[in-house]
Amino acid sequence: MSDISEKSAGELWGREGFREDPYITAPTLEEAADAPAVILPLTVWLGIEDDVRFATNRKIGVSVAPGENVEPLLALLDRIPLIALEFPAFNDGRSYSKAEMLKNQHQFKGELRAVGDVLVDQVAYMLRTGFDTLKVSHAVTLARLADHNLHDAPVYYQPGRGSHTAPGTYSWRRVPAA
Amino acid sequence: MYRYDEFDHAFVSARVEQFKDQVERRLAGELTEDQFRPLRLMNGVYLQLHAYMLRVAIPYGTLSSRQMRKLAHIARHYDRGYGHFTTRQNLQYNWPALKDMPKVLDELASVEMHALQTSGNCIRNVTADHFAGAAADEVADPRPYAEILRQWSSMHPEFSYLPRKFKIAVTGAERDRAAIQVHDIGLHLKKNGAGELGFAVYVGGGQGRTPMVAKKIRDFLPVEDLLTYTTAIMRVYNLNGRRDNKYKARIKILVHETGTEELTRQVEAEWQVLKESDLKLPQKDVDAIDSYFRAPNLPLRPEGWSELAAARKADHSFSTWVDQNVTPHKNPDYGVITISLKPIGGIPGDATDAQMDLVADIAERFSQDEIRVSHEQNLVLPYVAIADLRIVYDLLLTDGLATANAGLITDIIACPGLDYCALANARSIPVAQRISERFGKAERQADIGELKIKISGCINACGHHHVGHIGILGVEKKGEELYQISLGGSGDEICTIGDITGRGFSSEEIVDAVETIVDRYLEIRTDKEETFLATYRRVGAAPFKDALYSEAANAA
Repeated sequence: MSDISEKSAGELWGREGFREDPYITAPTLEEAADAPAVILPLTVWLGIEDDVRFATNRKIGVSVAPGENVEPLLALLDRIPLIALEFPAFNDGRSYSKAEMLKNQHQFKGELRAVGDVLVDQVAYMLRTGFDTLKVSHAVTLARLADHNLHDAPVYYQPGRGSHTAPGTYSWRRVPAA
Repeated sequence: MYRYDEFDHAFVSARVEQFKDQVERRLAGELTEDQFRPLRLMNGVYLQLHAYMLRVAIPYGTLSSRQMRKLAHIARHYDRGYGHFTTRQNLQYNWPALKDMPKVLDELASVEMHALQTSGNCIRNVTADHFAGAAADEVADPRPYAEILRQWSSMHPEFSYLPRKFKIAVTGAERDRAAIQVHDIGLHLKKNGAGELGFAVYVGGGQGRTPMVAKKIRDFLPVEDLLTYTTAIMRVYNLNGRRDNKYKARIKILVHETGTEELTRQVEAEWQVLKESDLKLPQKDVDAIDSYFRAPNLPLRPEGWSELAAARKADHSFSTWVDQNVTPHKNPDYGVITISLKPIGGIPGDATDAQMDLVADIAERFSQDEIRVSHEQNLVLPYVAIADLRIVYDLLLTDGLATANAGLITDIIACPGLDYCALANARSIPVAQRISERFGKAERQADIGELKIKISGCINACGHHHVGHIGILGVEKKGEELYQISLGGSGDEICTIGDITGRGFSSEEIVDAVETIVDRYLEIRTDKEETFLATYRRVGAAPFKDALYSEAANAA
């Protein structure tokens, strides 16, 4: 059974399928050397100068742990290329609420990425709360995504991304966008 | 009552398919028990002491005869011929095999039922007043709002991985039969000065090891704001509720640590953003859901009153049952019947397949095809004509369902305890049975009057002991089961958490201790009209402690 829990390095997936990940994750900017796209921890990201943070010749994204607040990012959203919300354990659901706030309340236009312990049964929830991409390392999840099996529901009882209103039924209901 | 449309059917059958897949993955070893655990919990499957347990959702406790027959069928074919009605108005099967679970869920889906969100850290089955739609004292039926909440909370993408489970209860009467103030969110449906419907909103009540009475954070929330406001509360909780310690993870701790004023401010701030969102309820949708719950057209049956008088005169047992188990109905020719699942010496909340079938038949013939499950682990027939009381009583009598003890000392709530539950420290059911036998005589019970005993087998308080007039908590001390007593708790509109009397009692002593308390009450009550709770509120704990501990000391 050990092969089940074994993690691969992680692959990037979005609604259109697997894709190359241009970003590397680094603890500091120095460690990233001259990588063209890098994701830094929130505390590090907040500490660097604006001209470096928003440099035009490279992309610098920011990673937010469940216990960290997204408030400091809100005023800067239109300049951030990527926000990664972490799921260190599948049962820590704080990042779902942050996704809702970033994408739906504050119209974040950049890439919103889920990183961590992503189980296949959570993929649909992540897409609906606003995530664009998932960095997946769970072997079973990878296999199911490769089969295009999202374990999604055929109908939803709440508004959310990737769905539209269901004609002739209650206002809170939605059906998946084709 | 609410009927599934195509949308609901599509949703539930997809969920059953999904769970089948998950069970197969588990049986094939593709999922570890750790990974399977949250998935099975979301489908109502627990692992108990001896076996898997399936908890079936009965939304706000309302059932049709057809649904009750299906529950009986499942008990007969997949379990050992009985089911257990719970304090969340649900039904638990204690012995189904994991491999049969998908089949059972298919059976349930065929009658518009499921086991979703009866466990796990999500929004659980929404509960409501079990007399809803029938009670004479009701402002409006709370169930349409419970149904809207049920739909909206089903597989909610944002709120399925909360810090802890989340329970919502709704009532539509001043007299709170739904215990809303010991829920994570309690909603009291009422009318404002202009005659419009809305809710008083309570947050942060709960039992468990830190019992707390909920705080009112809004006196009147218009109906159209039900889902936006609930979302705001849920979001504040999801983001800020504690996740470092499961015993501090419920919203009551967040309310307590944040302070009611600050928490209210946070909720209101979040609500300002959500207020005009897609979740604002259009009146036409509220009306459409409401129409499912319109009271049935009840024919006039005025002849019932004279028949009843004659029947009561002829049969004292019947008369006692009418006094105790029949509650006034909105329609004066009708009554609301409580079917006690607390036979003297029996297991609280258990019903056999045959009993479920009998109740289904009676409801079909005499109660507009409708049955309720109460959080006090009884069943309710909401629409019985006074003229039919005698025949219904006779039918109930044929299978031990006519115990005349609703609200009395033997109408005990008890959790499954150490006989079934992996969490329990002590047995609850045998204590309930012995108390029931001790006080079983009809005259004695009637003399004692209203007295609610609630028993939990561990600190998680599933038996609601904190709000028992007499609460009993089983603990384990040096390998022995010990029972702690609390007094004066109440889950109704004047909600209070009971006070612990002092040192606990052994399994042998506990029934005597309860009797000591009851005897002291009988000595000091002003008259028969003064209930146990009223007496306790007047005199406090001292006379009871005195009786319990000085007598024990004398005996020793």
